[in-house]
Amino acid sequence: MNAGLEIGVAVGKTIFIIMFALSLGGLLTWVERKQSAVMQDRIGANRASILGLRVWGLFHIIADAVKMFTKEDFVPNTPHKFIHAIAPVLSIFFALLSFAVIPFGSSIVIAGHSIGLQVADVNVGILFIFAMMSVAVYGVVLAGWSSNNNYALLGGIRATAQMISYEITFGLTLVGVILIFQTLSMQEIVRAQGGLLFGFLPRWGVFLQPLGLLLFMTAAIAETKRIPFDIPEGESEIIGFFVEYSSMKFGMFMFADFIEQILVAAMVTTFFFGGWQVPYLGDTGFAFPWGTTWDLNTWMVESLRVAAFVVKVSFFCWLQMLIRWTLPRFRFDQLMNLGWKVLLPLSLANTLATAVIVLWVGR
Amino acid sequence: MGTVRVIHVSERRRTLTFWERTYLLEVFRGLVLTARHFFVNLWRHSLWLVGVKSGPPGAATFQYPEVRRPQSPRLRTLHRLAKRPDGTPRCVACMMCETVCPAFCIKIVAEEVDDSSIEKRPKSFDIDIGRCVFCGFCVEACPEDAIRMDTGITEIGALSRDGMVLNIETLLSLPPKSERGDKPVDFLQQQLVQ
Amino acid sequence: MPKLTIDDRTIEVPAGTTVIQAAEKLGIYIPRYCYHPGLSIAGSCRMCLVEVEKAPKLQIACYTFVTDGMVVRTTTEKVTIARQAILEFLLANHPLDCPVCDQAGECKLQEFYMQFGQYDSTLLENKLKKHKAMPIGPHIMLDSERCILCSRCVRFVDEVTKTHELGIFNRGDHSELLPVKGVTVDNAYSGCLADVCPVGALTDRDFRFKVRVWYLDKTESVCHGCARGCNIEIHSNRRRTHHNDGRLIARLKPRFNGEVNHHWMCDTGRYSYKSIESDDRLVQPLVRLTGKGQEKSDWTLALAQIDEQVTHQVGRSGVAAAAVIATPALSNEELWAARGLFLQGMKIEKIAHRCTPDPNGVEDSLLRKTDTFPNSFGANLIIGQPHTADPTVDTILEAAAAGKIKTMFVIGGGLLERYSTDLLREKLRNVETLIAIQTHRSVLTEMATVALPMTSFAEMDGSICNFEGRVQRYNQAMPPVGQSRPLLDTLADLANRWELKTAPRQPENCFAELAQNAGYFAGLSYETLGDGGVNPSRRSATAATT
Ligand code: SF4
Ligand code: SF4
Ligand code: SF4
Ligand code: SF4
Ligand code: FES
Repeated sequence: MNAGLEIGVAVGKTIFIIMFALSLGGLLTWVERKQSAVMQDRIGANRASILGLRVWGLFHIIADAVKMFTKEDFVPNTPHKFIHAIAPVLSIFFALLSFAVIPFGSSIVIAGHSIGLQVADVNVGILFIFAMMSVAVYGVVLAGWSSNNNYALLGGIRATAQMISYEITFGLTLVGVILIFQTLSMQEIVRAQGGLLFGFLPRWGVFLQPLGLLLFMTAAIAETKRIPFDIPEGESEIIGFFVEYSSMKFGMFMFADFIEQILVAAMVTTFFFGGWQVPYLGDTGFAFPWGTTWDLNTWMVESLRVAAFVVKVSFFCWLQMLIRWTLPRFRFDQLMNLGWKVLLPLSLANTLATAVIVLWVGR
Repeated sequence: MGTVRVIHVSERRRTLTFWERTYLLEVFRGLVLTARHFFVNLWRHSLWLVGVKSGPPGAATFQYPEVRRPQSPRLRTLHRLAKRPDGTPRCVACMMCETVCPAFCIKIVAEEVDDSSIEKRPKSFDIDIGRCVFCGFCVEACPEDAIRMDTGITEIGALSRDGMVLNIETLLSLPPKSERGDKPVDFLQQQLVQ
Repeated sequence: MPKLTIDDRTIEVPAGTTVIQAAEKLGIYIPRYCYHPGLSIAGSCRMCLVEVEKAPKLQIACYTFVTDGMVVRTTTEKVTIARQAILEFLLANHPLDCPVCDQAGECKLQEFYMQFGQYDSTLLENKLKKHKAMPIGPHIMLDSERCILCSRCVRFVDEVTKTHELGIFNRGDHSELLPVKGVTVDNAYSGCLADVCPVGALTDRDFRFKVRVWYLDKTESVCHGCARGCNIEIHSNRRRTHHNDGRLIARLKPRFNGEVNHHWMCDTGRYSYKSIESDDRLVQPLVRLTGKGQEKSDWTLALAQIDEQVTHQVGRSGVAAAAVIATPALSNEELWAARGLFLQGMKIEKIAHRCTPDPNGVEDSLLRKTDTFPNSFGANLIIGQPHTADPTVDTILEAAAAGKIKTMFVIGGGLLERYSTDLLREKLRNVETLIAIQTHRSVLTEMATVALPMTSFAEMDGSICNFEGRVQRYNQAMPPVGQSRPLLDTLADLANRWELKTAPRQPENCFAELAQNAGYFAGLSYETLGDGGVNPSRRSATAATT
């Protein structure tokens, strides 16, 4: 494969995954409003219309975008105007970057070239994601600091404390996954989940690491600062780090939120729900445990796999919304207690148990 | 209505069981509850969408300009001045409402009438709705049952502050809701026409 | 002196005192309708029933004289029940008129009903119809349905004015208060009937439906209608200005002063407030520039003009050709400041206050005095006394007509009542620089080189001396009308321009200066004057005898 083609393929994959994240993010702004409405016996946003057509408020996505772009961009009187402007960009940038290592399909063969359905099959994919999520804290803390506003600064500090605290649990739970699948590559992890347990159960992370899944979900939501862990923002009550942001800069923070949500969904899918794997679907077609087989060609298999990935990610986005509109916010002390006194010991125990079992089984 | 349930504070602040304190189960129950609402409502919305409207609607809210919330008969809405059978105002300009009004938004000027069984009547009667807090004290204070808040009009607006001041002619012309029925009054329109 | 106990408190009062008066001394208020301290006792309403120990039945406090060792109770259950019953009787035929009744808010029926009412009516009978809204005189409106037949008004016209216009006619529940056939109630004190009547049966036609009484603010003042100086209250409507036709002063009410006017005041005084906010008030300085007509102006310009014109004129024709008329309509303080500026500062010898008497002045045995100036006594003391030549307004006007006066200040009202417009125009023709400081527009302000508006007595604090020398204070009841300013300020500004000694601008301080310098006022201050005033001549007389 020559270099030019390789670059072209990489660019194509990048565009695909970015478009996927951005359009799903845009859709999520609508889903967030509509889902909460339906959960709360309301109707939700439904007034924006084009030529009298309302389509259940879908045009609110456009309306919101137009609003965000046309609002006055108010910049506070701060000596750090540049940092103030760059902070939301950082937030969204690192969130998008993480998608590079998410495998959304196995691989396809075009003109004799095998193309992996993943922007970059880095063999330390998990570490890359960790790194990105750690750097993401900069966007928040810089926003709080450069706003020249005490409330924003306090919000930023809360965010830092929260993200650093939960990062430990976040990482430790994945150690279990790494121990089991014996790799740091995301694609490898997904592939490893292709087998069957006891002959019928897909070998998904959720069945191997049930506690890990719970801990991971909790830590991930805390990492992305969404309710019930939205203490850094607390829009209406405690004022967050982006209080001094308006217009599209504020919009970027909002959007980064949604992107991170998709990222979490994608990670949960990848680590615990078999990524692009469809149960019993092998490279050549279905092979059910009771013996039936159903042959499919590569293209159909790959399409099914990408579709499975999309469906799984969408479901976890929905689940996060459900959580966000169900639980009340934690207090900061509760948050810290939960992080350090509950989640951390539990994840340590989980890691230990996994290690022991892996050792024992391996022997 | 039936029996009244007395809730003691101590009852509300009962100690939590172990499972409740782990929070996990409660989170799950909460999610089940909200998810149930989600799916039931989604189902109802879908039924309505395809034209099956016999079941309950998916939302408890009113689509305001098109659908109006039923008003309680006791609701305090825009004021009106009641009339005697001969069309003259019942009000005798006793200033009780003006005195009691906590927002100081009623201004009455009295004048004498020749009819010695009435003696006094308002020459002008202005209510600045822009300042009114809809407390209903004026209605409560009126010894003649002359000022009432039963027009059912809740959409009140004007394009200027002066437009929010209703004069005696307007107040006398407004019908009670019982006479108007559900026919909406576009109040802004009416103000603009004047 | 008999000693008695009322509600467990003991008091010693002179013989001949009634229980109601003794109770009042203890601060115990016994409800009453027919009893009025300024009238004879009727004992007809029975509202004042109290329990007297050893008496078989309840006694009326207004007509029971105290005896030694008497024990009276005013709050027992028996008394309360009696009050409820009496109120039920009084209200048996009373219409439900409060919403349209001007008395509402200061009505004794309302007050006592709130305190002692029975609330649940036991009457089944229909109410009797009587006369409503019946004008019985120029100032008084009668509603005989509202009358409780206490006969206060009848006693007032019998005993105080002795004009006997009213009577109670017919019998039983058909009894009705009416004017005697063919008679109008137009005595000089008829306005007092509205005060005397405890309910809304007799109301003031002038005040009718103007403003509700609970909107009014009350200011203690002194009537400026004549030399009697009746103590009054100015009732002003400052908070809801859309009432009372937009005017601030709603009415004047007499204020009790046993030394001056008792409970009464005359109608002329009562309705004199109308001139305070009348349309002919001078509200803006007027200036006549050389070669031009008179123009509306502002204070800075007007004062500069006075400075320039007077300096110029006095420099040309001399102080001997200058004169000042300061009428006794001014307060002691204003007269003192005028004297300081003109006599002592500018050395103008011709300063006069004494005018020919007001042809409309009436005198009677009750209150009214022929001298319709409120402060002739004070003016005599302050302007007249130390100056032997003592010109009068007449001599000054004559001198002006003869062309001997070129500069003249005319300060204060009252001249127009005494001299006709034509006469004034004729006499002042030759005055070249005429400065008029006036409350109202008149021929004086019309002819003036500079006319300055000044405040009336309702718009400032001050003191005046009545005909017998009693010094009485009055207080500001409303802000100055238009651009008018207190005379003390104007005179002080002028004195400043001419670098002369100024009198204090604050009336209180000005009075203090007056008290230091004029023997008659020695030792007095606004504080010692109090609400009722002090008569220094009588004080020294009593001091001499004791
Ligand atoms: S409703 Fe209340 S605020 Fe409004 S006019 Fe009546 S008394 Fe005044
Ligand atoms: S209280 Fe009633 S009668 Fe009195 S002024 Fe108000 S509306 Fe008129
Ligand atoms: S006299 Fe008194 S009680 Fe009677 S109508 Fe007038 S205010 Fe009411
Ligand atoms: S009119 Fe008034 S003062 Fe005269 S008798 Fe009747 S209630 Fe008494
Ligand atoms: S006050 Fe005593 S009887 Fe009327």
